[in-house]
Amino acid sequence: MAQSNVNEKQINSTAQSDKEAQKTPGKTTETKQSTSKQLIVVVFILSLATKLYLLPIYLIQMTGRDAYIALSIEVAFDLIALGLLLAAIMLAGDKSFFELLEEVIGKVGAKIFVAFVALFLFFKLNISAAETSTFYSDNVFADFDAPFMIIVLLIFLGSVANHTLRSLCRINELMAPIVALGIVMLIAIVIATGFDFANIFPAMRNGLDFRRAMMRNAAWIGDFTPLVLFIGRTKTKKHTAVFAAASGTVGSAVVVFFGIVLCAAFGNIKNFADSCTNISNILQFSIGNVYGRIDLLSSILWSVSAFIETALFFYATCRCVEYVIGRNIHFWVGLSLCVILYFLQVFAMTDPTIFSTVASCIPTAVMTPVFAILIPALALISAIVVRKRDKKQSEQGSENEAEK
Amino acid sequence: MEQVQRILDKFETPSNVVSRELKAGSVSGAVIYHPDLVDSAILRSVVFALEHCEEKTLEDFAKYVLYESETELSEEVDDSINSLLSGDMLLCVEGDDRYLVINARSYEKRAVTEPPTETVMRGPREGFIEDLKTNLSLLERRLKTPDLAIERLTVGRRTKTNIAMCYIKGIADPRVVKKVKKHLDEIDIDGITDSNYLVPYLEENPLSLFTQVGMAEKPDIVTAKMLEGRVAIIVDGSPIVVTVPFVLVEDFQSGEDYYQRSMFATFIRVIRYVGLALALLLPALYVALQNFHYMLIPVRFMITLMAAIKGLPLSPLAETLCVLLLFEIIRETSVRMPRAVGMAMSIVGALVLGETAVNAGIISSPAVMVTALSSIAMFAVPNMIGSTSVLRLAFTIMGGLCGLYGLILAVLFTLHYICSMNGYGAPYLAPMTPLIYSDFKDSIERAPLKDLKKRPKSIPNINSTRQA
Repeated sequence: MAQSNVNEKQINSTAQSDKEAQKTPGKTTETKQSTSKQLIVVVFILSLATKLYLLPIYLIQMTGRDAYIALSIEVAFDLIALGLLLAAIMLAGDKSFFELLEEVIGKVGAKIFVAFVALFLFFKLNISAAETSTFYSDNVFADFDAPFMIIVLLIFLGSVANHTLRSLCRINELMAPIVALGIVMLIAIVIATGFDFANIFPAMRNGLDFRRAMMRNAAWIGDFTPLVLFIGRTKTKKHTAVFAAASGTVGSAVVVFFGIVLCAAFGNIKNFADSCTNISNILQFSIGNVYGRIDLLSSILWSVSAFIETALFFYATCRCVEYVIGRNIHFWVGLSLCVILYFLQVFAMTDPTIFSTVASCIPTAVMTPVFAILIPALALISAIVVRKRDKKQSEQGSENEAEK
Repeated sequence: MEQVQRILDKFETPSNVVSRELKAGSVSGAVIYHPDLVDSAILRSVVFALEHCEEKTLEDFAKYVLYESETELSEEVDDSINSLLSGDMLLCVEGDDRYLVINARSYEKRAVTEPPTETVMRGPREGFIEDLKTNLSLLERRLKTPDLAIERLTVGRRTKTNIAMCYIKGIADPRVVKKVKKHLDEIDIDGITDSNYLVPYLEENPLSLFTQVGMAEKPDIVTAKMLEGRVAIIVDGSPIVVTVPFVLVEDFQSGEDYYQRSMFATFIRVIRYVGLALALLLPALYVALQNFHYMLIPVRFMITLMAAIKGLPLSPLAETLCVLLLFEIIRETSVRMPRAVGMAMSIVGALVLGETAVNAGIISSPAVMVTALSSIAMFAVPNMIGSTSVLRLAFTIMGGLCGLYGLILAVLFTLHYICSMNGYGAPYLAPMTPLIYSDFKDSIERAPLKDLKKRPKSIPNINSTRQA
């Protein structure tokens, strides 16, 4: 019988229902678009996708070999946000993030707040897209034609905007083994080449100096924010949150591991670390000319996760914008965001100094951690309030029935 | 007779049909038939029986005289004409406006043979033919269950093509059956000549590059698919049976897999997946690595490659596109040409032309080798040749213009599109995504048949247990 019910939902939720879902902002005919496993995979991808391209080197440039401590704290910060979001997902039932906000702070309040969420997501989208392009331009291509290449990325993002969250979750699930393979290969290369981890010691010789580096590179916090769209749309099971948290922790551990590797390589010679050095660009890890640059190949495999994270940010931004304007016009919203993103990205790629200045300026340093925690916190509070209210209403309803 | 005239008036050339007046029992009557479509033996026996009986009404003729024949009373002239054009005889008697439709159909049909597209070393060799009745009998012989449901429909305003929608009640999901029936009922076309005509009406994304219905020419395959909860649609005049819902892994399965040792069948399936990956990505990777990412190529291999491409007038992308295009032309002409000439054409195209082009320094031997390997690999999954050819070309262009950056994004774009396909509630990429572990037993792996205790969850069904 259960099987039959699942099938009914599946059949009713084909392309037709996807089209119907596009008519009402914030609502879908098929409420559950992600499975529990897909959520776990998405958390894994988000935990490690972009934190390794630029962030460790920016931290090393500012604080030397203690950068991994700053990185670990940033990762921990994100894990707290993940915990809040997972709790919200588990408590929300069938209500989406937008519906929860509407019930707690009213429709106007919800729209204003979601507008800020959209801005934050768009900012994160830019960081993510710029990082990926920088990785390719400085490590993989001798001559990266950014204005042209970014168009290819935007075509993919445009396609994402026009499909459902379900498709995005499925591609996450499909590509996760490839990303994992890339990571395993990189770890194997690092270990096989006999790396000296002792270079990271002694720690904190400059006291708590790493705090400044951490604050100035806070733009990398908040990677789990797109998970707000999973609230009310995930088929949760009893242990979904536990497994998702474990998956996020494993991903974060990988980030810290590679952070330590970079700190050990460049921590004592921080002036040699340029803004585009990353794990795949450390030639000492190259297995050698006989086998080609396997390290680079595995980094490229890993970059799949960065593209997917960018897509998740883009999708989440689109849906938030649609909610704010009150119309589900996927194509036009997607196109508009693509155009804005294109100009910002080309600008960022042609003048990386401006990009790094914006990413590390004080307003960014203050606002990013605030939003990274505020959004999940508000989602969780809304979920708790609505849950209690619904419970109270159902109890009152049953009491009234008993009186009758 | 007035009834006869009513029928004949509907025909542009009434001479196409024959009417013969006779004494049917104790009343005057007439039979109308199409001489090209009726079985003359049945015609003779029916006329003889009618002339040597005493009955008076059409009901009595059907009940007591023609009890061996399949008969039906028809009140509508148009329906009667449809039956007449399907090879049935019409009997009418004085004083009754109705017609008695007597099945006397006889068509020329070929024998049941092994289909050329699904040849096997082991397993049944019977294949469907162009006759609906024969095809249904091939299925019914394998599914001796009262749960086998066969719903007959007619499609095509002019061709009035008979269609049979078959499924197993108690396994197939009624919602899927209803949806298929709805799609078939909605078809409003003047004629269909083959089951492929139905495909766009059954698919939820008709513009897609990817097939969303299963095609089979063998009754054992269709039976197996129906036992998994699918609906089969058989069209009169077509040896190809269409099945829905469809998931991508079906293209990687062959009927023979189930007649082989499971280990070997699994190995073959893995080879098919590898083959598809090679077919799709090899030329694109070759071009991308040569154009942008030569540092990824091992040095020794790089030296060999550089020696081979030295002095070529074309860029790696142009060169590979030329070879790919050449291959597509040779493939298309080989298929269309008479078999004997086709063989010669292949030799001229592949050997003479390729060899000469390499010797002339127009294209390099690695490009020919990469394209040849990719093309051979493409045939590991023959059902996907169409989509693979187009995608391979697109990926090659992306690899040539944008390197691995563009190639990865192109692959992600394609996969994302495929992930959005969900026809009839069956996720197109299941069981890979959404992950359905139990279905892996019959997707990449082919587990021993005794381990396949449950029907695939990817395909909606209402009875998941296959064996206790």
